[in-house]
Amino acid sequence: MSFYDYAYLTSNDAMQFVKATGVTLYITLMSLFFGTVLGVLLGLVRCSKNRVVRTLPLLVIEPLRNSPLVTQLFLIYYGLPMVSRIMLDPYPAAILALSLNTAAFMGVLVHNSVSAVPDGQWEAGLALGHSRVSTFCHVIARQALRLLVPQAITLYISQLQCSSLVALISIMDLTKLGQNLALRTLRPFLVYGIVFLIYYVISSPLAALARRLEKKLAFHY
Amino acid sequence: MAMIEVKNVAKSFGTLTVLKNFSVDFTQEGVTVLLGPSGTGKSTLLRCINGLETIDEGDILVNGRSVKEKKNLREIRLDCGMVFQRTVLFPHLNVMRNLTMSPMKLLKTPQAEAEEKARFYLDKGGLLSKEKSMHNELSGGEQQRIAIARALMMNPKALLLDEITSALDPEMTSEVLKILENLAAEGVCMLCVTHEMQFARHVASRILFMDKGSLVADAGGEEFFSTIRKENKRISKFLHFIGE
Repeated sequence: MSFYDYAYLTSNDAMQFVKATGVTLYITLMSLFFGTVLGVLLGLVRCSKNRVVRTLPLLVIEPLRNSPLVTQLFLIYYGLPMVSRIMLDPYPAAILALSLNTAAFMGVLVHNSVSAVPDGQWEAGLALGHSRVSTFCHVIARQALRLLVPQAITLYISQLQCSSLVALISIMDLTKLGQNLALRTLRPFLVYGIVFLIYYVISSPLAALARRLEKKLAFHY
Repeated sequence: MAMIEVKNVAKSFGTLTVLKNFSVDFTQEGVTVLLGPSGTGKSTLLRCINGLETIDEGDILVNGRSVKEKKNLREIRLDCGMVFQRTVLFPHLNVMRNLTMSPMKLLKTPQAEAEEKARFYLDKGGLLSKEKSMHNELSGGEQQRIAIARALMMNPKALLLDEITSALDPEMTSEVLKILENLAAEGVCMLCVTHEMQFARHVASRILFMDKGSLVADAGGEEFFSTIRKENKRISKFLHFIGE
């Protein structure tokens, strides 16, 4: 690739890359926030001692885990207006779809992390006089967090990459901009190369953070 | 008056009956040792007293409070500290935080006071230098001594000790038993499941022998080893098997 190739991109395109990166980050951060909150709730309910209560979150988690995100996105954006009066704009539709998808996976991670803490830890907390809630807060949560955090960050990185699917409902995120610029310039390697690099620059610090937190939270059983 | 009243308690795990119509009282004094072959319900009895296992029939009252009432469990567990066979220190906390966390959260003990008390118990156990250690930096015996100290930090009226030396080598076992003997000498009320006959001989003021979920013998320490063992073939056989 020569310098000549770069001439196909204008300074206006550079500004568009900045804007599109903002769009990708906005959609990703919003959906990760809502997805994490909902996912933690789903995961904690999954840890209930009551069999009926702990089964309820599966009604949400299983369909979302076992269907493609793009289908969920289309169902919300194109499908909902057909069966209800709910007609979401592309942004809320994208954030809703990504949030629900994140929540489903986060719910599983939270449940698995809490379940992985040995039963003896619960018993030791209870035997000292702690309630179940107090045992969870002071004994279990910190130990579950050690397992959860690195996996959650991996999920975040994955969801950042999955956010590229919002291009399919006409949101001008990084991927959509890449498509447009590639068509205009007929230089797909250059354009998608830049898009690739931007995703990489956003993701790699998260991966480094995961490794750092993993070390920081580490302790031995 | 009895501190712990076990009244006609039955407990099963599936088709396995562990406790059968079991009744016994414990006063808040001395060291009671529970003896018997494995699987006779000794540990289950302690876990039922502490409310870690539910009971199928009968009732257990600790200072007049029934373990069947969920609202009583906190008080019961504060009254009866428990130490387990497998040491369960909290791995994310150092020794000092393991000892002080519960008194600070549950009894609202000020940090300085809790730490002073923790150092007192660590000193007693010869572990003062370990206050900043994490649990994986401690030997099994040290961990178990800290688990005992952690239970004592809550000012229990009685200690329930469930085979706390069974996973330790002889050297570590003697370290832990020494602590228990000192506690017994100080008048701490203990209810111990153990197979350590030397310990039982030295410190038990009362010995209960259980077999197949029932109480076979209930006698004073000396009486058990002198008279009862000669009279009861089952006990005699058990003691013979474990080299007594």
